Amino acid sequence: MKYVMKALLVSVVMGAAMFALAGTADATHATLKVVAPTNLTAGDSVDIQAVLHSAHGGEAVPGATITFFMDGSFGGVEGKVLLGQAVTDENGIAHLSYLPRTVGEHQVRVEYLTPGESEPEVATWSHDVSGAPHQFYQSTAGVQIPGLNSWVLMAVVGMVWAILLSVAARVIAIASAGSEAGAGAPASRSRATGDW
Amino acid sequence: MEEVTTPRERLERTVLAPVTGTSRWYYAWVAFLLMVIAWGVYAYSRQLHDGLIVTGMRDRISWGLYITTFVFFIGISHAGTLISAILRVSQARWRTPITRMAEFITVVALVCGAMFVVIDLGRPDRVLNVIIYGRWQSPIIWDVLAITTYLTASVAYLFLPMIPDLALFRDRLAGRVSGWRLRLYDLLSVRWRGTAAQWRYMGGAITTAMILIIPIAVSVHTVVSWIFAMTLREPWNSTIFGAFFVAGAIFSGVGTLIVVMAVLRKVYHLEEYITEKHFVYLGYLMAAFALIMIYGNISEYLTTGYKMEEGAEFHFRQLFLHQFAGFYWFYLIGGLVTPGLLILMPWTRNIRGIVVAAVLVVAAMWVERYFIVVAGFRVPLMPYEPSAYAPTWVELSVMAAGFALFALLITIFVKVFPILAVWEVAEDLEGPELAPEAGRLPFGAAPEPAGGGNR
Repeated sequence: MKYVMKALLVSVVMGAAMFALAGTADATHATLKVVAPTNLTAGDSVDIQAVLHSAHGGEAVPGATITFFMDGSFGGVEGKVLLGQAVTDENGIAHLSYLPRTVGEHQVRVEYLTPGESEPEVATWSHDVSGAPHQFYQSTAGVQIPGLNSWVLMAVVGMVWAILLSVAARVIAIASAGSEAGAGAPASRSRATGDW
Repeated sequence: MEEVTTPRERLERTVLAPVTGTSRWYYAWVAFLLMVIAWGVYAYSRQLHDGLIVTGMRDRISWGLYITTFVFFIGISHAGTLISAILRVSQARWRTPITRMAEFITVVALVCGAMFVVIDLGRPDRVLNVIIYGRWQSPIIWDVLAITTYLTASVAYLFLPMIPDLALFRDRLAGRVSGWRLRLYDLLSVRWRGTAAQWRYMGGAITTAMILIIPIAVSVHTVVSWIFAMTLREPWNSTIFGAFFVAGAIFSGVGTLIVVMAVLRKVYHLEEYITEKHFVYLGYLMAAFALIMIYGNISEYLTTGYKMEEGAEFHFRQLFLHQFAGFYWFYLIGGLVTPGLLILMPWTRNIRGIVVAAVLVVAAMWVERYFIVVAGFRVPLMPYEPSAYAPTWVELSVMAAGFALFALLITIFVKVFPILAVWEVAEDLEGPELAPEAGRLPFGAAPEPAGGGNR
């Protein structure tokens, strides 16, 4: 009985120690969540907010760098595609402008690595993108000169081909003139080339 | 044997000889070319079956022999434009015996060059993507437009001055060649009877075509250069690429014309019409363009080398010191300096010396195209190890077949069509009294009526 009581006491003490240790670890972590709409339209930009609070006390964590990823695949290789990084403000909120390009179900993964920890805090955000797929790349660089555009190229090409057609028309005229010359008289084989 | 007395009879006999007589050497030559082409077709079939993996091209160096050869062929297609159109515009009389050769080199080179773009695609059906997904803003579209327009204009420019000569063939070869040939001459001579109206129409058409084809030709190789110059790669960041490519095209075009002239002159006994004078004059043109090319190289490499950005340094090392140094110095010394010296030195300024210079130029210009394509791709865009490119037997075989096709088409052409511009050469031989159109006309004017009973 005495040994049983001793073992019970040791177990209670060790359990209390483990609980106390776990609570201390939890105090160094933070909670991360994503605030963003779940239904998006392809091509419309949306603001993703990652909210970072201290897990112990719930205070906002400012100045922390949050990384945004998206699942992607290219050339048969799958992995995380970096969307961007943002730093939390005084309210613990990091903003990222996100332009959905592909229609369908997608998931964005947000990570924050607490200093001194090896495993990041992770939050995910699933969303559904609707809309017709189309070309989203719009070139904004360059200087737009009024009147200088692809119509000029089309006009030049059209003019060149019109001139070539005029050359073809002259070949037809040569043939017609030959027919007229040969209509009144039997064709002489040497007539055309005996003299140039 | 029929006695030949007048210059015109000799000219006719010379021009008709390749069409009416065929030697065993001709068949042997054609058989050899067909064998090379057949081997190339087999190699291409392997590429079609297995994909571009059978070539040496990979993701980092994705253009190789095919695009090099494409650029080279488009370059030599300028032979026709320069010799025929520019010299016709400038009314240089010495051009007449060589214009026809220059014009058909243009057409044949364009056909062979365009073929290599399709071969490089891997899947030929993807040519349609250019039409389906093409954008006016893309240099690829400009290239397709320029080359198709140039090919059309070149065919027209080859065909128009040939009409009276085709009529000559139609009339002189009746009963001497097969029926299909006579029907071909009859069709292509477009009922030519040498009337005043026909001469007038033809003169107007030639004038229009010769003026039009010069800017088209310049645009073609400029646009080909823009495919490189409008891509973000260190060796291609050049504002003079267009002018450089056009100069190089004319340079290699003249070289090719000299080589073809020398071969045809020898084989078909054209010594009376293609004389040392023609080689020397073309040699002078080639020497002038050698100087332009030397100037272009100095201008290009001195400015980029003086600034020497990171990529430029890598490019300079691979060209002048490392991987490509041997061939690159051959291009500079053997392809630009030596031909110029051969032409300018009095004791080598003869047919043999100029032909040697032309062969060097043609070889060097192919090498230069290779450096532009492959060495350009080899400069890393990011900090990775530079890639290597080595053409495989498939690429070498297909390229050999392309050159064999070029030779075969020329061989067939001279067997079927007039090798010389007969009526133009007759002008020079007989003078204005016998051929009134030989009198130099005001710029843009149509030739006077000269044929048939209406003259």
